[in-house]
Amino acid sequence: MTRADMRRLLIDWLDDKYHFGDAEAKIGDDEASFLDRGVLDSLGFVALVVYLEDKFRIKIELKLLNRENFDSVNKILDYVTAHGGGNA
Amino acid sequence: MTESDRPIFVPEPEVSSRSQMAYFMAYCARAAGIDFEDWLEFSKWSAASWRDFWRCFLAWAAPETEGTSEPVCAGDAIESAVFFPELRLSYTGNLLRSTSPDQDETVALIALDETGRRSEWTRAELRARVEAAARSLRALGVGPGARVAAIARNDDEAIVACLAATGLGATWSSVGPDQGHEAILARFKQLDPGLLLTVGSYPYQGSIRPLRDRLEAVVAGLPTARILVSLDRDLAAVSGLGREVVTLAELEAKGSSSEAFNWPRFPFNHPLFVMFSSGTTGAPKCIVHGVGGTLLEHLKEQRLHSDFKPGDRLLFTTSCGWMMWNWQLSALASQTAIVAYDGSPTFPALDSLWRAVGQERVSVFGTGPAYLQYCRDAAIVPRDCADLTRLRAIQSTGSVLGDKMYDWVAENAGSLPLQSISGGTDILGCFVLGNPLLPVFRGEAQSISLGIDLRSLKSDGGGEVGELICCNPFPSRPIAFFNDPDGSKFHAAYFSQNPGIWTHGDFVILTPRGGARILGRSDGVMNIRGVRIGPAEIYSVLQDFVEIRQAMAVEQLSPGEIGGSRLILLLVLREGVTLDRPLTLRIKKELSRRASMLHVPAVIAAVDDLPATHNGKLSERAARDAVNGRLPANLAALRNPGCLEQLRAHVDLGGA
Repeated sequence: MTRADMRRLLIDWLDDKYHFGDAEAKIGDDEASFLDRGVLDSLGFVALVVYLEDKFRIKIELKLLNRENFDSVNKILDYVTAHGGGNA
Repeated sequence: MTESDRPIFVPEPEVSSRSQMAYFMAYCARAAGIDFEDWLEFSKWSAASWRDFWRCFLAWAAPETEGTSEPVCAGDAIESAVFFPELRLSYTGNLLRSTSPDQDETVALIALDETGRRSEWTRAELRARVEAAARSLRALGVGPGARVAAIARNDDEAIVACLAATGLGATWSSVGPDQGHEAILARFKQLDPGLLLTVGSYPYQGSIRPLRDRLEAVVAGLPTARILVSLDRDLAAVSGLGREVVTLAELEAKGSSSEAFNWPRFPFNHPLFVMFSSGTTGAPKCIVHGVGGTLLEHLKEQRLHSDFKPGDRLLFTTSCGWMMWNWQLSALASQTAIVAYDGSPTFPALDSLWRAVGQERVSVFGTGPAYLQYCRDAAIVPRDCADLTRLRAIQSTGSVLGDKMYDWVAENAGSLPLQSISGGTDILGCFVLGNPLLPVFRGEAQSISLGIDLRSLKSDGGGEVGELICCNPFPSRPIAFFNDPDGSKFHAAYFSQNPGIWTHGDFVILTPRGGARILGRSDGVMNIRGVRIGPAEIYSVLQDFVEIRQAMAVEQLSPGEIGGSRLILLLVLREGVTLDRPLTLRIKKELSRRASMLHVPAVIAAVDDLPATHNGKLSERAARDAVNGRLPANLAALRNPGCLEQLRAHVDLGGA
């Protein structure tokens, strides 16, 4: 799975659950903070973790659920790729 | 001013000032010595001083009665209060009497159907038919205590038979001929009727549908029905079933006489109709309504709130299995003629029903949101296909009427009030309905029914939506449930949730101007992530999607979800529409925008059909059972139980 494919899955999930077609516009920039831009709230991050674990067959420790690892499109894709999720 | 604050219709002052509501309000003002500032103050007085109100109304409406009107009501508890215990009257006698000599020669009943059959009877002719049938039925043993069951079409035969049987003191129960034998038996078997009246076939959408097979099963399941009465002279349908057979025409011919017939008068609370609840849980409830409560409530709703007058004509699209059929009968008591329409409203032409409304010079047309939406989607313009100059109101009931339909009616049917009326089988009447004195606002019933202390019981979470409750006694409260000697089923149905208060099972918003928005049944309520979600709020949003024909929101248990369940949205789409991603996202977006994120379904699934009762009411309970892997309690109550299999097997809903 390419990074672009993974990105598409992430955007689709955000649209399905929270933004209903407006996820791209809401994100704006792949480096931008989800929290700052209101892309996800804390409950949403938990739901995202559940989704990523299920979809990419990886284990995400909740203690790593922080701005350094999870607060933008690029950070999320980096994390998933680093943990072998891109092979799903 | 927003659109919802702007009336879509305002009555002409010269019309409203001549309405019976205006006269009655003045009558009450004199009687009570109160100068009512406006209708709202009058309405509040009628609920607070309900004994005075009903005393005044009985005197003003002046039905034929004997005995005394005091006490107005024995007891103050809604569950056990007895109205007018010293009064006796005849339901049939009051419907058929003429209050002026010329009324005998005025048309009282017109029967027409989709095949083009049309007949009409003056009041004198109708009365003669009913009296003749009654003489023969009496000879067959029909009288107080008897239960008469009918599988009938909405036509003259059903009306004649019903008025004759109830006039003799029997109780009447009817279903439409489109019901399956299990559903019919689930109802009638509880009553042990001595007489079964039935048609042998019925037309629908261009074909004649026979009942013989179903009748064999029904008759076999009703051993007490020793006599079968053919309503339509189709003897082949009822012969050879081991019972005595006679046609209604024979009964009328045999009972014909020029002698005067005196209708016996019965106590105010003598049983009149046994109605059935929709029956999606367990066996259908048999709700017994009384002679006086039915007549008085209908007179109030029809003369005051609907302004039915001599010379008016009412066409209400209904089957004999829906309470609106009984409701329309009572129009005769206001000297208003009934136009009984039977068959498909869209056959032979898509606009057949509107043509009938025009041709029969109907004054008040009763229908439901589904039909109006159908007309809108089919691009039918009523005022172009029919002469609607005699039409002065459209009444809509059965489900939630969306705001947009008010605009559609104004643009396509003309400047007349679209009156949302709502109540139900349980009260054989309406809690909210029209009002000739008041403007119409989109999405709102114009007013609360007079004499009713209707309130909205809010949930702990606040908000404007509440459970519809009634906090004072009212005469159309059911007498009891049939076969419920200790009243426990009756109590459980209406009083267990809020002791001492009638809990109706609807969600409502009561508006400051005295109107009401009914939001659908509260018993289909969902609990999503700990928050109560009423499906009506979802339907309200979805009504604006032209792609959607029908929608149903149900809760599905899902241990992995927060709160342990998820919201499922089932959609029947219009032909040629597929549930693709853009449509799915658009639905979700609108729900999140106009309702809340909690209203956004976890799964949206396209299905071929949704479970509905024989009255056409969608059954959320049956769908909920199906998506949760449970067998619905009463499959016979559904007209399309086969659709549940698709729900169970749907991959998106967790099926195989």
